[in-house]
Amino acid sequence: MACGSTSLWAGETSWFCCGSSWGPCGSAGGGACGNCRSSANHGAWPNASQACWDITRPDLCGENIPRRGCGAVMNVRHQCSGATVCITITDCGPRTKEWCGEAACCNGACRTNRVLDLTPAAFSAIGNLSSGKLPVYIYE
Amino acid sequence: MTSRQEDRRGLGRRRFLTTAALSGATIIGATALGGIDADAAFAAEPSLDPAIAKSSFVEGRITGITGSILEVAGSYGDHARVQMTNATSVWKVRATSAAAIEIGDGLYARGVPMPDGTIAADAVWVNIVNLDTQIRGIAKNRLHLAHGQHEVVGNVLPATTNASYAGRALTSDLSQLRIGQSAQVLGAWRPSDNSVDVVRISVGH
Amino acid sequence: MLSLTTGLAPLVLAGLLGWTGAVKLFSRGTVLGAPKTALARMLSSSERAALVLRGVGAGELLIAAGLLAVPANPLPGAAAALLGAGFLGYLGYGRALAPESSCGCSANEDTPITWRAFARAAVVLVSGVAAAVAHGSWWSTVSGRPAGSLGFLAAAAVVLIALSADLDRWWLLPLRRARLRVFGHPLFGTGAGDRVPVAASVELLENSLAWQAASPVVRSALLDHWEEDGWRILLFSGVYETAEGAWPVSVVFALDATSSRDTPGDPVVRVSFLDADSGEPVGAELLSTVPSRKALPLAS
Repeated sequence: MACGSTSLWAGETSWFCCGSSWGPCGSAGGGACGNCRSSANHGAWPNASQACWDITRPDLCGENIPRRGCGAVMNVRHQCSGATVCITITDCGPRTKEWCGEAACCNGACRTNRVLDLTPAAFSAIGNLSSGKLPVYIYE
Repeated sequence: MTSRQEDRRGLGRRRFLTTAALSGATIIGATALGGIDADAAFAAEPSLDPAIAKSSFVEGRITGITGSILEVAGSYGDHARVQMTNATSVWKVRATSAAAIEIGDGLYARGVPMPDGTIAADAVWVNIVNLDTQIRGIAKNRLHLAHGQHEVVGNVLPATTNASYAGRALTSDLSQLRIGQSAQVLGAWRPSDNSVDVVRISVGH
Repeated sequence: MLSLTTGLAPLVLAGLLGWTGAVKLFSRGTVLGAPKTALARMLSSSERAALVLRGVGAGELLIAAGLLAVPANPLPGAAAALLGAGFLGYLGYGRALAPESSCGCSANEDTPITWRAFARAAVVLVSGVAAAVAHGSWWSTVSGRPAGSLGFLAAAAVVLIALSADLDRWWLLPLRRARLRVFGHPLFGTGAGDRVPVAASVELLENSLAWQAASPVVRSALLDHWEEDGWRILLFSGVYETAEGAWPVSVVFALDATSSRDTPGDPVVRVSFLDADSGEPVGAELLSTVPSRKALPLAS
């Protein structure tokens, strides 16, 4: 499936690790979909399933994020630089409800709430891992 | 060259770069406080052309260091050779140099594939982790964190560990951390004792 | 003391098994937590793991009822001992197979297999054996020695609670919070005054218009940083591309060292691209297209 250019959502993204890896990531497992890998362009979506939604609860921050299950593909674009990466959803996350109101900005235009988690491969393609979070537009 | 000469050269280079930076273009933008636009930005419909040239990604453990080349064993049995250059940024707890990298460290790298099969690295992040945790205990020089099914010890480093509270700017004041809070911990894994040096801890509302 | 232990073992064991059995059988967490258990990996199916967990829960409740109703009968005690041995075997196998899995001991999603899980399973085994060899009933022990029984039951409850990682949030975390309240926050006053951390300057830079303008050129993450005359200098590397070719460049930013994202007012960032070999400024036109910019006096 190819990544499209229809606007889906906008918000803040963080990064996480999954699959076989080193350090504390070593036992993270393949994620909710079973095939998540840190070294692939994958992502975690807060509404990957009902069980997932019950954990992440983005609605508590006013984000009624639509359901996109395992295997959904999205274009993720850094709001500031325009750098874009095409990802596949392979996990559930982030726990949006813990970070209501948190913002990441470009020149005063801010994206609020954590609505996406990217693998290190996908995150580093559009930003620096040491930044921790980025403002993004999401297309499908 | 003695280290003092190197220092002097480094200082000279820094002074040169400082002067260059200050005589460069001055750009004034809005701050994060400039207001939060909800969906207005979609109206601009930015094009989807990637602004950065296609880069390669490397993940794995460092198994050997030969000159300026890092031998990296990927977690899925793959193997990569990462070429470090003067322009490669190195993160290991902080911005540092390639000399800080050790065999056994974990690595993520972004770079450009070379004809000889190596990856010329633009940026490498050594032992970097970003964990979704809960604070279970607070002591003078460490935090006890629950990360999913594990318990992780987070080392608090003076002048390095910063915190962000409810989305505010990073500060070195850690006294507002509370037991039971959910916390995103960006830090550096220590292979020797499996603990994590906490670089940035972000807690929500 | 020995008679007290064997006499009350069925009651203690019934309490423990009744609780863990009820949680496994009736809690929604059993289904949610099942995929994370070592059992799910053994059976390679979350649904089967949830089913087995529920089955074990029902068995535990049955044994608990038997221990309460017919304590003199060795059968419930023997069954409990067998269950304890089974738990130990499962934990050992689970630890070897998937060391970071959850044990599913009380169907709680956040309890990894630690020594506490082993100790609790051992308690089940030992008290099962004690219950099997007990002759009297627990109620005759309680009525015969009420004070001693009460003390024993309280001690047993404390031991079992301490061995249950899933109960930590009810006692261990409040205890630690209370300690912070009494003795003060251990990290109070560790901050370096009102100094803005370098990471906060980098964050301010990455949110700025200057970063947006320079991002087509920047390739590395932060290479180096230092302070001079109140400015914080942040150095990156990059590639400047034109129709004629591509040049490696240094990208230098200068920001007010006391500014962070929370500082009121518009952030001022100075930026230069320098040829990596000659040190000559390049690509000024890339920065001159940025709309809002004005010249400022140099900070002294």
